[in-house]
Amino acid sequence: MKKSMVALLTGVSMAALLAGGCANKDVVKKEEAIVPTVAAEKVEPAKPVDTAEQARLAEQAALAEKARLAAEQAEQARLAAAKSKPAQNEVMGTNAPQGGNSAVAENKFETIYFDFDKSDLRQDARDVLSKNAEAILKSSAGAKVQIEGHCDERGSAEYNLALGERRAMSVQKYLTTLSVKAENLSVISYGKEKPAVVGSDEAAWAKNRRAEFVITK
Amino acid sequence: MKIILLVLAIAIVPTLLYAQSGYIEVTAPGNRQLKLAVDSPRSLDATATPEIAKLVSELIANDMNMSGTVTAESRLQRPDGNLLSLVDVDFVPWLSAGFDLLVRGEYNFKGEQLTIEFRLFDVISRKLITSMRYLGTAKDVRRFSHSFADEILRVITGEKGAFTTKIAYVSIQTGNKEIYAMDWDGNNPLPLTKNGAINLNPDFSPDGREIIFTSYKRGNPDLYRRSLSNTAEVALSNRTGLNITGNWSPDGSKIALALSKDGDAEIYTIDKDGSHPVRLTVNPALDLYPAWSPDGKRLAFVSDRLGKPQIFIMNADGGDVRRLTTSGNYNVNPRWSPKGDKIAYSRMSDGGFNIFTVATDGSLDTQITVDGNNENPSWSADGRFICFSSKRSSGNGIYVMRADGSGQTRVTEGKGTYYQPVWSAR
Repeated sequence: MKKSMVALLTGVSMAALLAGGCANKDVVKKEEAIVPTVAAEKVEPAKPVDTAEQARLAEQAALAEKARLAAEQAEQARLAAAKSKPAQNEVMGTNAPQGGNSAVAENKFETIYFDFDKSDLRQDARDVLSKNAEAILKSSAGAKVQIEGHCDERGSAEYNLALGERRAMSVQKYLTTLSVKAENLSVISYGKEKPAVVGSDEAAWAKNRRAEFVITK
Repeated sequence: MKIILLVLAIAIVPTLLYAQSGYIEVTAPGNRQLKLAVDSPRSLDATATPEIAKLVSELIANDMNMSGTVTAESRLQRPDGNLLSLVDVDFVPWLSAGFDLLVRGEYNFKGEQLTIEFRLFDVISRKLITSMRYLGTAKDVRRFSHSFADEILRVITGEKGAFTTKIAYVSIQTGNKEIYAMDWDGNNPLPLTKNGAINLNPDFSPDGREIIFTSYKRGNPDLYRRSLSNTAEVALSNRTGLNITGNWSPDGSKIALALSKDGDAEIYTIDKDGSHPVRLTVNPALDLYPAWSPDGKRLAFVSDRLGKPQIFIMNADGGDVRRLTTSGNYNVNPRWSPKGDKIAYSRMSDGGFNIFTVATDGSLDTQITVDGNNENPSWSADGRFICFSSKRSSGNGIYVMRADGSGQTRVTEGKGTYYQPVWSAR
């Protein structure tokens, strides 16, 4: 059941990615990466999975990507000049559809969640991180993973940027205690700027206070 | 653009029709507020453009009403053949209508070139108080009107207004957080960024010609700098981690900001070209949102070193740190008043934000908004007003209020959500 679900979700995500212009090179890497992570989040056992919702989210991501493409035309030359990004695109663009290569194939990183205004890791988060650490360690190529820290909508945008980073850093620190090499991990905070779900109740907030994992190489 | 500014600089020399040493105390009898009539300026040639005349008088009246110092009304021009007479104003109708002050003016187009002249009269003593003459084009009309309102405030209060200044802000109207700038009253909104990424926390250079802001346009939240008139953006600080909440020093030489390159958000200063980072806070807590005092000697900032975010003050070299806010358990967004006596900030309680002001010694902690969710206060250059972002039932947007919380007015149009307004210096 779970496996087929993953396959289905991956399929949907990939379709969205392709529709969203994944073939275009040198374009905003991060947005593409979000789709697989959303899929990863949805297979978390505790969370009910809604494929229709998933497809909708993927489609939205694809649309956002399209809009972004136009806006980012002017930035493309500059982006191309930045060395790491084209390389990342290559990896994502080719690996993801094939699903063959080591790191991406094993991208079963689950999102972890935090308590309000906290960056310490709950027991459930530690359990998830153990699995994530294993996945990183197993990848033969030595996957490089970016940890994205996010917050719920409460509190100031600026403070949440710092809080999201503190969350990502506490994840990074914990992963290194599980033998993941620090140089394979990077952190970024989006504060409350990229909520996973829209809503102003505890259910939505709980899903937005999170750390996601994105393979960057 | 530069040429126009030059022309303005020459043109905005007040015509010295009246001696202007100090300011003229104009007081109404009793506690009644002074009443100001703003008569529409007359056209000195055949090609009258009544819409410009109407706009001018409405703008001046709106500025003056916002100031709270007078009650102003814009008036349609009265038929009056005596166009060129500066002194022979018939004050009787204005006096009998209860006005204490009167603005009159003339304008004239020579091709594209506009000449406009304003005069402020004391109706009671029948005297000319001040006058200004401007040269430009039709698109400068708003600026000229705001400038004369600044002058009216100067002569009746001793403190020039700041109506020619701008407010930069973040808006999500394109689907992304992009940065815009507008006149203080919401007119002439100008998109500054169009990169499709997340753009945050604009701040003006002291001369008002440039902004700094944080953008994710290259992935990491880096600090950028650009001029208002040129789209080129320079990465000022793209150090690992956060490069956020930049605040330009009053003398323009430095920028205070929060960097996390050393592991967690700490306050630094960098030179205005991004070089020479100097770390000011050393604390495992989150330190961010630095705000310069107007003399450049101190910084207010947000820190959660005591558990919850609170506002602290330190010297500009990082010494002598002390806590400013002692009540409320979530105080953020400090901004120092131009006079240096107060700090505006926003406090979260029961999930919602409101704007407060507090004296720099921590006394006089006063809530000045109550309606809705109000964040990111920023002072006008004359200290009279505070702009802030608001989500409230009467409409979301950028609001402007007097520093005591009165006169709260939404200055942005449209329904979008607006964030992080910042007021330019003069």
